Amino acid sequence: MRKALILSIVVAFALSGCVQKEILDDVNLESGSAYDYVNGKLRGTALVPIYLPDKAVENKTYSANSSLSRDFLSDVQRQSQDPIVTGSLKIVLFGEQLARKKGILDLIDSFQRDPSVGAGIFLAETQGEARKIIESNYGKRGTAIYISNLISHNMKTKDLPKTNLQRFLSDFNQRGKTPYLPQLRLIQKNQIEISGVSFFRYGHVVTTIPAEKMFFFKLLVDQYSQGSLKLKVGKELAAVESIRSKYKMKLVSRNTPAINVHIKVNAILNEYSGIKVTPKELKMIEKKLNKKIEFECEKLTKQFQEKNIDPVGFGHFIKSRTRKFNFKQWETDYQNLKVHVTADVTITESGVIE
Amino acid sequence: MGWFTKKHEQLDEKKSLEEYLQRSHDFKQVSYINQHTNKKFSFSFITTLIDESILQENALPFLLEKSFETIEDIKKIIPIADLQISSDPSEMEQKLFNGYVLLTLETDQKNFAFIAAQKEVVRSITQPEVEFSVIGPKEAFIESLEQNLNLIRKRLPVKELIIEEYTVGTLSKTKVAILHMEGITDPVNVQNVTDRIKNVKFDAITDSSYIVQLISDNKNSPFPQLLDTERPDRVTAILAEGKIAIFVDGSPQALITPTTLVEFFSSFEDYFLNWILSSFFRLIRLFAVAFSILITPIYVATLSYHYELIPKDLMNTLVTSRREIPLPPILEALFLELTIELLREAGARLPTKVGQTIGIVGGIVIGTASVEAGLTSNVLLIIVALAALASFTTPVYKMGNAIRLLRFPFLFFAELWGLLGIVFCFCLLMTHLLRLTSLNRPFLEPIYPPRLTDMKDSLIRLPFRKQTMRPQTLRTLQPLRFTLTKKKKRGDIDE
Amino acid sequence: MGQVVPEKAKVSPFLVFFLVHSMQLGIGVLGFQRIIALTAGYDAWISVIIAGLSIHIILWMMYKILESVDGDIMDAHTFVFGRVVGKLITLPFIVYFSIVAITLIRTYIEVIQVWMFQDMSVFWYSLAFCGLAIYIIFGGFRTVTGVAFFGVILPLYLIFTFFFAIPYADLRNLLPIFDHSIKSLLLASYQMSLTYLGYEILLFIYPYIKDPQKSKKWAHLGVLYSTVLYTALTIITFAYFSEGQLQKNVWATLTMWKVVQMPFVERFEYIGIANWNIIILPNFCIALWCASRITKKVLHIQQKYGVIILSIVILIGINFFKTREQINTLIDYTGKVSFVINYGYIPALFFLMLIVKKVKKK
Repeated sequence: MRKALILSIVVAFALSGCVQKEILDDVNLESGSAYDYVNGKLRGTALVPIYLPDKAVENKTYSANSSLSRDFLSDVQRQSQDPIVTGSLKIVLFGEQLARKKGILDLIDSFQRDPSVGAGIFLAETQGEARKIIESNYGKRGTAIYISNLISHNMKTKDLPKTNLQRFLSDFNQRGKTPYLPQLRLIQKNQIEISGVSFFRYGHVVTTIPAEKMFFFKLLVDQYSQGSLKLKVGKELAAVESIRSKYKMKLVSRNTPAINVHIKVNAILNEYSGIKVTPKELKMIEKKLNKKIEFECEKLTKQFQEKNIDPVGFGHFIKSRTRKFNFKQWETDYQNLKVHVTADVTITESGVIE
Repeated sequence: MGWFTKKHEQLDEKKSLEEYLQRSHDFKQVSYINQHTNKKFSFSFITTLIDESILQENALPFLLEKSFETIEDIKKIIPIADLQISSDPSEMEQKLFNGYVLLTLETDQKNFAFIAAQKEVVRSITQPEVEFSVIGPKEAFIESLEQNLNLIRKRLPVKELIIEEYTVGTLSKTKVAILHMEGITDPVNVQNVTDRIKNVKFDAITDSSYIVQLISDNKNSPFPQLLDTERPDRVTAILAEGKIAIFVDGSPQALITPTTLVEFFSSFEDYFLNWILSSFFRLIRLFAVAFSILITPIYVATLSYHYELIPKDLMNTLVTSRREIPLPPILEALFLELTIELLREAGARLPTKVGQTIGIVGGIVIGTASVEAGLTSNVLLIIVALAALASFTTPVYKMGNAIRLLRFPFLFFAELWGLLGIVFCFCLLMTHLLRLTSLNRPFLEPIYPPRLTDMKDSLIRLPFRKQTMRPQTLRTLQPLRFTLTKKKKRGDIDE
Repeated sequence: MGQVVPEKAKVSPFLVFFLVHSMQLGIGVLGFQRIIALTAGYDAWISVIIAGLSIHIILWMMYKILESVDGDIMDAHTFVFGRVVGKLITLPFIVYFSIVAITLIRTYIEVIQVWMFQDMSVFWYSLAFCGLAIYIIFGGFRTVTGVAFFGVILPLYLIFTFFFAIPYADLRNLLPIFDHSIKSLLLASYQMSLTYLGYEILLFIYPYIKDPQKSKKWAHLGVLYSTVLYTALTIITFAYFSEGQLQKNVWATLTMWKVVQMPFVERFEYIGIANWNIIILPNFCIALWCASRITKKVLHIQQKYGVIILSIVILIGINFFKTREQINTLIDYTGKVSFVINYGYIPALFFLMLIVKKVKKK
């Protein structure tokens, strides 16, 4: 009797205790998605990699128009053989029209709400239509992994400041700070590049800086960052790679807000067109570098103030140094903020030759 | 009158026993007459159990040629040490079946003598096969209790080593010896083992495995709660620690109790190696066990429920390997696991040479063919093969069997609830192990209850210098193993 | 009261550390940060410390009460109120612990439903969970303690996963310190005390401790460890999320796992949630054990039947909570009741005890 009871419980358990399965090869894994704003409607494109027997990856995209981000996915389901799932999303691209006109606020919500979307995914704005970029083929491992690796290595070792979904959301919800995203561009068929950094205000792109300026922006927002820089020293050209940079902000005055930013860079000399690198010339290069960094950084902050965005987070910084900080007041104060940048570059190595 | 009936009964008993025995072909009764006194005497014995040469060389010539009157005189003329005189016929049956020869005189019906003439049919001592070690002693127990006890006595030549013997099994009359160190082992434990052995109710006990199953604390657990070993050195070591060893006549495997889970994962070779190496090997073994139990369920859980977990670089490999396969991951895994179990079982039942061939051929052919046929994915094939390999690292065979079984409930739960199911099943396993005891001592010790001093020889093994204490869990009478001599003051370099 | 706990059922004093800590660490830790941040902003980590430290006083009172009767709270009740009234006052604790058990399992199932399996069956999972708990409790108090021990030791590695959040951490979020009024800090401490609940089990497990004098140190250490853990977690959470972002996340602790990326695992939160099962299990078992222990002492029902009856009650009771709102109300009330018990009833009992002792001496 007792055994029969236990047995029947176990059987019922196995039959009805089961949960909905998502077997790996019976679902379509959405690895990237692109959003555009076309003719007053939101158009979503889902990228699904199809793994071929020779381990190459074919890119398949599904598009649909809708007004909500999630809504688009349920429309796309009608086109796809297997259910499309979002758990392995790697990149999300926003088209130029969408990011500048409509804004991406509504879309961000769905990424936050969906527990299956990771916080480490990369977001980017695109020049032109995002769909065109996501539909192109860039290599054997699939478009999503290509773009994801492209952004990731540029953030780790090159000039692109660090961003991903978590950083974007954190900045977005931080008072006294505005978010920013990398911008991608199609340079020819099946080839893309990072063309700059776009700055957001309330979900709209306000301005974009070109790739050459990214290094200076990175110095302002990322601690311990790497990047590279070319400059002219007299007649000669020098290429310098930063291996480690550090910034320190200091509040100089509260009433008429003024902030000192001190940037410390440890760098190595990669290339020099002169005949010999002597300590004297190194000093020269360092000096030039200091000047250039100070000039460019201050120019950037001025630009931000003009556009009324604060990607560096000066507001957030002052708030952390002020009790009962008044953000309302700050909105007008920001325009009067004086930012003074000082740089201190040390070239530690100049390669294996003199 | 009383005496008369008693005598009568005795005679009757003897007669009826003889009549009973006559029915067996190997029972013999021979009568002789002494040359001097013309006394008639007779031998009764079971031919298959005794060595007739002993009778012919050491007993018969003296009995025929030298004169004797009573049964007491025989003791003086026969040069055999084990000669017992008795008047209790109830002993007769047991003695006869233990290889004694019954000597009776026609004139004296009341008394009789037993002459020891056992035939020793034993194989010689060989190398340990189940617990083979590259270094260290190469002796293993054999089927003879006497010989096995001899191996232990040689290694522990002290009076503290106590050997108690009991007979169990209503039909087999198996001799069971309980060994312990007086003054070290907890008497409560000894009493406990003795009681359990005495209470064994079974007809034929042919091996120590019977005893394991009959005296375990929890008889419904797949885990063995007594450690069996064929190494005399291991038994010696645990006796010195304060544990109890049980020997069963006819079994080449001694039992050790109380034992703990971690002991099942320590090979005795660990003690022959440097402590760093042996600790490393123990950790490897533990990892292997966890790997072999969990890896297939994790595969099933991940592929059925948690595709999000798969790293993007691995995704391609996994998807391409699974794309042609019609079976869901659980069936695929069960298919391969059962194939491996079949190969193992077939290999174990066949003679060594054939078994090896079957193993290799079966493994390669079936594996390759099923991948090519699209029945299983090659990733899973690798995983299952690795898991099988890992499960062979368990040094104790019986524990290895238990571990083989464990992955199936895990698979069931992985199919049911994915990773959550695996964790749930782990909780079940953990509870079961927590509740298990070996001789009323917690089985999970020293992990739970946590005891730092016992940790020194558990998951890792610290140097012998550090092992000054006997395991706390045994509650030994003499917890200190040895006293450490004080170190000399450390000199400076080159002093 | 006649039922002496046999020596072999008792546990070593240092295991109290694991019992107390594992009972405290439960479901609240998954999302307490948002609630306290709503009240005291990013100064709320101070409230975490305040609430944690205040427990030590309560703990001291508990030991005083228990020591003077050398038994559990039921003996204390009989001592103060007499036989009949004492029993009546103890009875509500059965309900309390049953509700704690329901809260735990229902909230955990909600997490599973939101994060892993939307169609997870409440009934089947809680049935399996109850079955497991019954199996554990049938093993005696030592097994329960063992589960608590492993419930602390095994998930320890989860601490390391929070290091993945450090690259994203901005400690400036916490500045300036003391930007909020004392009142809001204390209010947040009150809210925090709900997350800390669980140490009151000491009132019931006391007779099962060998050498209870020695266990004092360990109980305090257990609470201190919880405090340190919660404070560290709060600080990491505050540094990781910006204030606006935290207010959107119901389960901040789980959301932080979303950035964990290892070469062999792309996403960690699924492993983390599954592992939380090991953390929830001792909570549930201890609550059920306490409830069944009271039924045994007060109603004289054998504990093994008590466990089964209470499990059935829990299985039925759990079905009344379906939406998030209902679950939140349940959590709220459980927290409030536990606050009243710990900060209201125990001090009251403590002073009553002092008075009664004096009176009886005369």
